[in-house]
Amino acid sequence: MGLFGGLDANSQLFIQGYFTTITLTVAALGSALVIGTVAASARVWGGPVVQSFVRGYVEFFRNTPLLVQLLFYAVLLAPANLNITRDPMVAAIIGLSIYTGAYVTEVVRSGIISVDPRQIEAARSLGLSQLEALRFVVLPQAIRTVIPPLGNLSIALVKNTAIAGGIAATDLLKVAGIIESRTGGDFTPYIAILVAYWTLTLPLAWAVSRLERRLAFAR
Amino acid sequence: MTAFAALRHHWSRHGTLIAGAIVAVVIVLAFATGRLEARKWEPFLLPSTWRFLGEGLLVTLTVAAAALILSLTFGLLLGIARSQLRGPLGWIVSAAIELARATPILAILLIVLIVLLRTGLTQNAVIAGIVGLSIYNSAVIAEIVRAGIDSLPRGEVEAARSLGLSYPQTMRAVVLPQALARMTPALVSQLITLIKDTSLLFIITAPELLSFGRSFYNFYGNLLETYIVIGIIFFAINYPLSRFSRRLETQRPSDERLRIVGEEERAT
Repeated sequence: MGLFGGLDANSQLFIQGYFTTITLTVAALGSALVIGTVAASARVWGGPVVQSFVRGYVEFFRNTPLLVQLLFYAVLLAPANLNITRDPMVAAIIGLSIYTGAYVTEVVRSGIISVDPRQIEAARSLGLSQLEALRFVVLPQAIRTVIPPLGNLSIALVKNTAIAGGIAATDLLKVAGIIESRTGGDFTPYIAILVAYWTLTLPLAWAVSRLERRLAFAR
Repeated sequence: MTAFAALRHHWSRHGTLIAGAIVAVVIVLAFATGRLEARKWEPFLLPSTWRFLGEGLLVTLTVAAAALILSLTFGLLLGIARSQLRGPLGWIVSAAIELARATPILAILLIVLIVLLRTGLTQNAVIAGIVGLSIYNSAVIAEIVRAGIDSLPRGEVEAARSLGLSYPQTMRAVVLPQALARMTPALVSQLITLIKDTSLLFIITAPELLSFGRSFYNFYGNLLETYIVIGIIFFAINYPLSRFSRRLETQRPSDERLRIVGEEERAT
């Protein structure tokens, strides 16, 4: 069938699982970055009540198990409640985004406050406009603080997508279980998915440690 | 202070209070308009409910404690090995730690369960859970220990050795006490992750808080409410720990703060 027509059913399932894991990671990372940036800006520049809400969001979602959060969204979106969708992928992406977003919020916040506000004053008095000061003084430094931790969060996110199997999304780990039961207890799919996860996490880890050293040197 | 600044200052002290009040009003309105069904929350008023969930919580905490003790022991040994061993043995230790850290913990739990079942070592999913949690967390703690040891200035070891201390004496009396002090915030953070990860035992069919929760909602038909309450129980345990970790971190001089983190980045 389709693109992977030449492969047997189990290999096709495996490849689908691999892409499901990547889809979950990319979709959740994208929305977590948006959530985190908005929430961090609100946390730094918002009023006290807004700040309290963001703090509550960050603390509650970071200190609660991801599995409990995913189960909650899966049931909440199901026909019995909000009747939005039965699709576990939607619940998984929402859950992973909100959970990871809480961590991103803290990272972005630390990036924003890592730049001394007096640097903006200095840049302004040197004749840079507000925008130029942001572009040439604040952003380069803030990004340096933020990139390595965001890399680590991406690695954690890849690993966390495995928990989506707990609400019946067919990610890599779930696929291993399905193939294992189909083949009557073959253990190889588990070894295959370990290697598949490593093809995602190890290059990321390598890139993060490289970046960390480069950015630390350039500071 | 201008009037506006004074108002802002006044508000900032009550921000949490006002936010809390808004949440309380929303909850009361939700009950009043029937969006939250009081019927589904009533079981949580019964003492028997809390005895039952408390039993599950006890299992969860026991699993976490057992895994913590094992991971600290093996993590410390592996961390020292990684920091001190050179040559092929050092590479093997490093590779094992990196691979374990790069694997989803749920995958480790499932594989350990299957291996234990197939080899006939044990049928007990709780033991499989403790072993799986310990494998992953030993690797993470080993990395924290390595970073703690490597963060010490080289002069510390050289001074101790030139004073005539043997290598084990140097480690025990000079390096480890200082490294451990630097590691504590990261270790407490990792404990939070460990406590959260015990909920994954639910998937490998071991009894813990979430499985007790399932028996409970199967009886009362209140899934969402039970998930919320279980989330709040975990929060009640982890939030004080995260406050504690942050306080420890900010108490250290900034050059003694480790850049190393547990599973998820702690930003301070």
